[in-house]
Amino acid sequence: MLLPGRATLVEAAAAIARGDYSSVELTRACLERAARLNGALNCFVRIEDQAALAQAAAADAARAAGRALGPLHGVPVALKDMFHDPARATSFGSRLQRAPLSAAAATVVARLDAAGAVRLGALSMSEFALGPTGHNEFYGPCRNPWNTAYIAAGSSSGAGAATAARIAFAALGSDSGGSIRLPAAVCGVLGLKPTYARVSRAGAMPLSWSADHIGPLARTAADLARLLSVIAGHDPADPSSSHRAVPDYEARLGAGIGGLVVGVPQNFFFSGVDAELQRLIDAALAVLVARGVRLTTVELPEPERLADLCLTLLYSEAAALHGHALRTRGTEYSPQVRARIATGLAIPAAAYLEALLLRAPLLRSFVCAVYSSCDVLVTPTLAQPVPTLAATDVGAGTDMWATIGALVRCTAPFNYLGLPALSLPIGFSANGLPAGLQLVGRPFAEARLLAIAAAYQAETTWHQRAPALD
Amino acid sequence: MSDPDPPALTAEIVRILARLEGHAPLEAELAARIAANVTRALGAVAASATRDLFELQPSSYLAELERLAERD
Repeated sequence: MLLPGRATLVEAAAAIARGDYSSVELTRACLERAARLNGALNCFVRIEDQAALAQAAAADAARAAGRALGPLHGVPVALKDMFHDPARATSFGSRLQRAPLSAAAATVVARLDAAGAVRLGALSMSEFALGPTGHNEFYGPCRNPWNTAYIAAGSSSGAGAATAARIAFAALGSDSGGSIRLPAAVCGVLGLKPTYARVSRAGAMPLSWSADHIGPLARTAADLARLLSVIAGHDPADPSSSHRAVPDYEARLGAGIGGLVVGVPQNFFFSGVDAELQRLIDAALAVLVARGVRLTTVELPEPERLADLCLTLLYSEAAALHGHALRTRGTEYSPQVRARIATGLAIPAAAYLEALLLRAPLLRSFVCAVYSSCDVLVTPTLAQPVPTLAATDVGAGTDMWATIGALVRCTAPFNYLGLPALSLPIGFSANGLPAGLQLVGRPFAEARLLAIAAAYQAETTWHQRAPALD
Repeated sequence: MSDPDPPALTAEIVRILARLEGHAPLEAELAARIAANVTRALGAVAASATRDLFELQPSSYLAELERLAERD
């Protein structure tokens, strides 16, 4: 059977289109795998067998009638439990029961459905998407498929774990400080936080309208490209979404990377990086150099402040969004999430607005300083070895800020700037846990990031390794 | 001129602000941790604001993203 372990999303779509397999066969196999592995991984909040099989049967019927639904026709994927669908429940990783966000399905859900995707169920996430470790006080922690004692990271924990475990061909997550890229890095898959405004957020649970991004996780660059092509583009329901035309990301995967200049930061991002991780990054860069890329060093303008500026926006906006619920049902939040949201109560409005206004000039100075001398910037996704669940189970205690800060150090700056950032798996540490390299481009440079990732994957086999779960 | 040794936000101020905004009292230890984090964040904002921002509004950011976009 063509499980996600034996085929990529693009290959599965082609197999269904040829009639080698039916969508029902593939969906049933994925559902069986989900049921078998979810006890160990806790990557699904709900496995939605009936709804998934109904979608698969509809996809097969459409094919039998000669009607192609779209580029994801019949392919099983899974979504973080935060995208509204009037026909299915949504928990946001919380135990608070809330009124639906809207009458209509989230735009990304509608676009996946229109492209023919089959949704397997709702994936585990940190409570209200606020937590980089993957702990969840109410639903239990999501576990890393490579070693269940380690974090799957967050907040799109289930998206990383289910994709790495070959349960779903790909997944959709959200990222407000690293929540797509961190689970991708520690679970050994690719994760793409697109440019701010590239993907509609209508109908998605908001955490921070300035920092929220929606994007895909998958095992290959080609799979990411296909998913991004489906979900990207302006949406009247999200006035902040860009009107810029969506490129043909798949067609541009083969664009040569020879002659591209990759910038390696001299300050902040590689400071104190784990030695083993540094060796993996050096080896990954050597692969790119062998493909004709040139490396250069770059000095970044004030990078150490960017994560704090991001968190200033995030906590202020989260405190406003959760204000009523926190006042009336505060005890239903976990201590850590309550503490983090309450942080916004102490940020003066002038400081919040100053951080908001500074985004434009700081973006301009960053882009001018960095991309005048290189095409793409590289950093670690996570600058430390993957930690265990036990070591990061800090609640709202004295280690809370240090633990969170260390995890989002390399990712949150790009939520503030809104630049596209892709985490690429580049190997494994001695303890068997994956490592990720972050590629960061100019605004709307997703095609370039995907082309570099595709070139790297053409020369390496890390993405073909699967965790030993069977 | 920047203050070489700016004061830190205190736990008590954090607790008062939370109460003024209608929230349940925060535990003292937690308020102290929040105070330390907010102090750091305010420092980052102050250090980054090196000029007047009269010509900007929040939507300036979206326009800047489009202006700086990768050229096809």
